[in-house]
Amino acid sequence: MDFLGEGFRRAWVLLSLGDSEVYGIAALTLKVAALATIISCAAGLPLGYFLATRRFWGRRAALTVVNTALAFPTVVVGLLLYGLLSRQGPLGGLGWLYTWQAIVLGDVILALPIAAALSAAAIQGVDARIRRTAETLGAGRWRTAWTVAREARFALAAVLTAAFGQCVAEIGAAMIVGGNIRGSTRTLTTAVALYTSQGDFGLALALGLVLVLLALVINVVLQVLQGRGHA
Amino acid sequence: MLELRDVRHRYAGRVVLDLPHFALPRTGMVAVVGHNGAGKSTLLRLLALLEAPTEGTVRLDGAVVPHRVPTTLRRRVTLVEQRPMLFRGSVRENLVYGLQVRGMRRAAMNGIIAETVERLGLAPLLERRRHELSEGEIQRVAVARALALRTDVLLLDEPASSADRAAAGALYRALAAERVARPFAVCIASHQLEDAYRWADDIRALADGRLSPVTPENLFRVELPPGEGLKSVRVGTIDIVVMTDRVGSAVLAVPATDMFVSREPLASSARNVFSGRVTGMAIEQRGAGVHVRADMGGVELVAAVTAQAARELALAPGSAVVFSFKATAVQVF
Repeated sequence: MDFLGEGFRRAWVLLSLGDSEVYGIAALTLKVAALATIISCAAGLPLGYFLATRRFWGRRAALTVVNTALAFPTVVVGLLLYGLLSRQGPLGGLGWLYTWQAIVLGDVILALPIAAALSAAAIQGVDARIRRTAETLGAGRWRTAWTVAREARFALAAVLTAAFGQCVAEIGAAMIVGGNIRGSTRTLTTAVALYTSQGDFGLALALGLVLVLLALVINVVLQVLQGRGHA
Repeated sequence: MLELRDVRHRYAGRVVLDLPHFALPRTGMVAVVGHNGAGKSTLLRLLALLEAPTEGTVRLDGAVVPHRVPTTLRRRVTLVEQRPMLFRGSVRENLVYGLQVRGMRRAAMNGIIAETVERLGLAPLLERRRHELSEGEIQRVAVARALALRTDVLLLDEPASSADRAAAGALYRALAAERVARPFAVCIASHQLEDAYRWADDIRALADGRLSPVTPENLFRVELPPGEGLKSVRVGTIDIVVMTDRVGSAVLAVPATDMFVSREPLASSARNVFSGRVTGMAIEQRGAGVHVRADMGGVELVAAVTAQAARELALAPGSAVVFSFKATAVQVF
């Protein structure tokens, strides 16, 4: 217990003193996760809407692919991405290996199926009459999509939360393609893994607490936004 | 101006609508009547351009509506479904929705909304949200939302199914007032014959996805004399005994299934007994029933009997027949 208590005490000191390393890592994590969430949702939500509302040949197969991708192991994604971004790889010219951009790319690949599959389920949950009503009232395609999305706002907010949760807590791909370089690609999760293995439990705990705090703040913000849009 | 030509529409391979030709005139109210599952809602969805027919074409002003319907065409027709949905937000927000998507200015929008709200008596509901409304109120708001758009064609699927008689009357009166203010086509699907007979200019019956050759049967416009209870009402050359307290202009309807058919007059409690000759017989879609038309001295009556009964009575065009029905079987609208 002393060991745990000491860990929490050190974590509190680091956080309250505004330790630059802790806050630097937190800032990078937030930047990477936010960017990856925006990109994955910007692509995933329309894809989910399309899968939920359009009838086309291969739709069922497409849904199966997206749902299967939900369970894609993060280290495998990291490995594949490593191959693509390494100097001999087809995307080696980008020079992104061991940069924060590579971590964003990994996060997007992992969060995109979450955004697409969950938003498809959310849109499918909206009464079909909403879409028909919007159309019969003269709404165009975009306005109809917006109207349906408004009806599914709670579920879509949960999609955002889930995508952000995936991005902020991701470690496998971030470790492989980011390299956990101090001051450059060290995120909260990779740092926690590193400091724990180095025996600096207090620092790891402080970073872990920041991670939890970050998730909490994002959830509270989303809940407040949901509350404003009641019925 | 809105018409279906050679339409065969299928769901999961089953033909649910088979209409060689169905047209709505530019103005006037057409009622499509039929039992549940007759294809009324499917017909309205095709007319609303929400679905493309599996076979055949939908035409607007003579031009074929393309498979991918342009928004400009879609905006000429609107539909209120049987169980309409309101969007989240207030009644007012729902009413402006269709006008907003048409890019209408706020001042013009407010004028139309005020007029529509007054016509349908929705003023007390304007700031309410959908979960604060009853089914009947939702239906009224949905009709107002559609009416406010001033489309060329207004399609209503059982618009008064959740309304009480007073609210249904108010709804139809509002529609009538709107039709006086501007010409447009209204098509109402209903299984409530009473409303159809009372408000529509033209009634078409749908059965098993086809236009029924037998029109809604035994309808007579009459003038009911003063008094209560049993009344004898002149219909052409015959007198029909009805039980009603109504007075003045009305429509009598005798359900074909309420007629007793025999070759000789029966000793029974039926107040209405008419002798005549069979003029025609139509077998129902499924073949289980037969509609027997008979001329009762200048007035045609239709009776529905089973195919077996028709055989046993040896009914055929030209044969003598007696139709009997009780005074209480006559519906008065």
